[in-house]
Amino acid sequence: MSVWGLPGLVPLPVVLPLVVAGVLLAFSKLLPARLPDAIAVLTTVTVSGLCADFALHIGDQPLVYWFGGWTPRDGQVLGISFAVDPAGAILGAFSGLLFTCSLIFAWGYYDEVHAHFHVLMLLFMAGMVGFCLTHDLFNMFVWFEVMSVAAFALTGYALRSSSLVGALNFTVINTIGSYLILAGIGLLYAQGGALDFSALAQAVAKTPADPVLTAAFALVAMGFLIKAAQVPFQPWLADAHAVAPSPVSVIFSGIMVPLGLFGLARMVCDVFAASPEVHRVATTLLLGMGALTAVLGGVMALIQRHIKRLLAFSTISHTGIMMIGLASLNRVGLAGLLAYLIGHGLVKASLFMVAGIIEARCVGTDEIGLRGAGRPFWAVGIVMAVGALMLAGLPLGLMKIGSEQIVGAAHAFRQGGTGAVLIGAACTGAAVLRVAGRVFGGFGPVPGEEKRAPTEQEREKADRPLSLMLAPTLLLLMLAVLPAESGRAFLDHAATMLRHASDVRDLVPGSATGGLASPSARRGELAAPVMRTIGPWISVGLAIVIAVYHLGRSRIQPAINKGVDRVLGPWVEVLQGLHGGLIGDYVAWVVVGLAVFAVTCAFA
Amino acid sequence: MTGMLCWATVAWLLGIGLYGIVTSRNYVHLVGCLSVVQASTYLLLLGIGYRWQAGPPIFYDHPPGTPAVDPVVQALVLTDIVIGATVTALLLALVLRLHKRTGSLDAGSIRPLSR
Repeated sequence: MSVWGLPGLVPLPVVLPLVVAGVLLAFSKLLPARLPDAIAVLTTVTVSGLCADFALHIGDQPLVYWFGGWTPRDGQVLGISFAVDPAGAILGAFSGLLFTCSLIFAWGYYDEVHAHFHVLMLLFMAGMVGFCLTHDLFNMFVWFEVMSVAAFALTGYALRSSSLVGALNFTVINTIGSYLILAGIGLLYAQGGALDFSALAQAVAKTPADPVLTAAFALVAMGFLIKAAQVPFQPWLADAHAVAPSPVSVIFSGIMVPLGLFGLARMVCDVFAASPEVHRVATTLLLGMGALTAVLGGVMALIQRHIKRLLAFSTISHTGIMMIGLASLNRVGLAGLLAYLIGHGLVKASLFMVAGIIEARCVGTDEIGLRGAGRPFWAVGIVMAVGALMLAGLPLGLMKIGSEQIVGAAHAFRQGGTGAVLIGAACTGAAVLRVAGRVFGGFGPVPGEEKRAPTEQEREKADRPLSLMLAPTLLLLMLAVLPAESGRAFLDHAATMLRHASDVRDLVPGSATGGLASPSARRGELAAPVMRTIGPWISVGLAIVIAVYHLGRSRIQPAINKGVDRVLGPWVEVLQGLHGGLIGDYVAWVVVGLAVFAVTCAFA
Repeated sequence: MTGMLCWATVAWLLGIGLYGIVTSRNYVHLVGCLSVVQASTYLLLLGIGYRWQAGPPIFYDHPPGTPAVDPVVQALVLTDIVIGATVTALLLALVLRLHKRTGSLDAGSIRPLSR
């Protein structure tokens, strides 16, 4: 049954979790122990179902809902609207799915705190869905803040000193990002006189070369890039994701970070669709940042020993890969971004759940210290190994479609991206594969560069039933591996609508939108058939080779190991030092990024 | 001229706030610097909506149509203040907890993970 035809239901996926969160908070002391769990899961399932229903029943026009009935009058936009397009709706549905799995995974995790965990999670989800569905710039900012504040609180939840510092870094950097976005919104409003996406897009189309608009774009884009943890804004992510409780890290890495890129995609393709300046800045700068992020994240993942921190760096790397798809700004790249976002989210969520299982069962998250500790439940190790191979680029499911399209788009557009995709995927896959081999197989008695990495002993509540933790893990991984060819048409449709959201092409004939659509997009579909078929196998092979080398160090002459260590050691120290957890350093990098953006915009 | 002064102050507040965060050795001071960064956004938004010789956008005692400053940015500033207050409160709560745990407020001496 479809709820399509009842536009009044559009705000429900946001309103429902907000109301339930309020009710849960009010009655938290009275409710019996497991009831908040059940209510929260029921809510997330409903939200996911509603969004999926929207996604499947939207035709060629987004489903628009004006709050308070403030529809535009005489071409003047006064109100705030939600405009549900397939891309936003499917991401809303996906976040609902991840929250459902995460809540089941966390069943009984927080007995002692009444329902506060569930309240925060529901607020978190409401912010996320609102962010995906809204059609108003300031409204989008507010939902992002709702999401962020819930995330800040959830990070520091455990109240250990490491999680407190991680949460502080996370909060300060992301809040600076928010203020940059807000300043950008202010400049946009000053020039455009509106906050609605379509109205702003029309204003941009009238004066596409206005330097104030380019500055506004730079500020908003920087904010989103800070939240999406792209180089040089990335170090906060590893601190925060490593110390957050595992069910929360599942959400962070699975969807929250990539949503920053989705916000950026909305900006570039919708609000700034008609600005050739912005497109020039976006294509050069975003491609470079994405490629750098993909490679750096992969290398950093290889030299970690704290399992969650390692996975966090892997998320950075894969977000960089998504950004390469976004940077192409064509339909193929955007479809690739969406497919990769969901496919990677499924895999990464299940890997963070595996990390949570290791933490709960073996009391620790240190890869080297836990060597062989996972043998009694080796089946989990198989899940982890499959996840690792998926990260490395095993051509299965949504990730296959995503990486195919991203590589295709990057190839048509500029050669540089393809190599970064392969290297990033291979490195993160190798890192996770090494953890699986070491923890569950007992291989790798001689650690390599990873022994220099920071770590800690932490403990999560251990007496949860393994079956409840394993069920969502398996479900997510299965969804990631299942063939998804039938989803191709849907993603294509979603990307087309995302790209032409405001449809300003008619206003500005021959503008950047029209120009970008034709040749490069068509070439993107045809390009690089060779890379498409053998590319994934190259990165999978490379991942296996690196992992085998890392685990097999005990069979190599100690002299060789020592030599390698002497050569790589100083470089590793530098890389670790750059991610040293000192907030002042991170903000200094933000300032550097600001300068790079300003210079690029000035000369674009 | 006054307009230029407004934008210059915005840039100065942003710069000095970021400088403060980069060099801060005390978490409470750092939270204060973050508020300075935020103050630059208040000023920017209010400066954008400001009209010379215009009154407040309340038409209770004067007729609609008289010049008034832009009420939209004022609503934005209000939301901004709410967000800022939430974040500052949360940060200070985290800092208090951290001080209880480690007895220190020095950002340089507390690292998230140890070697």
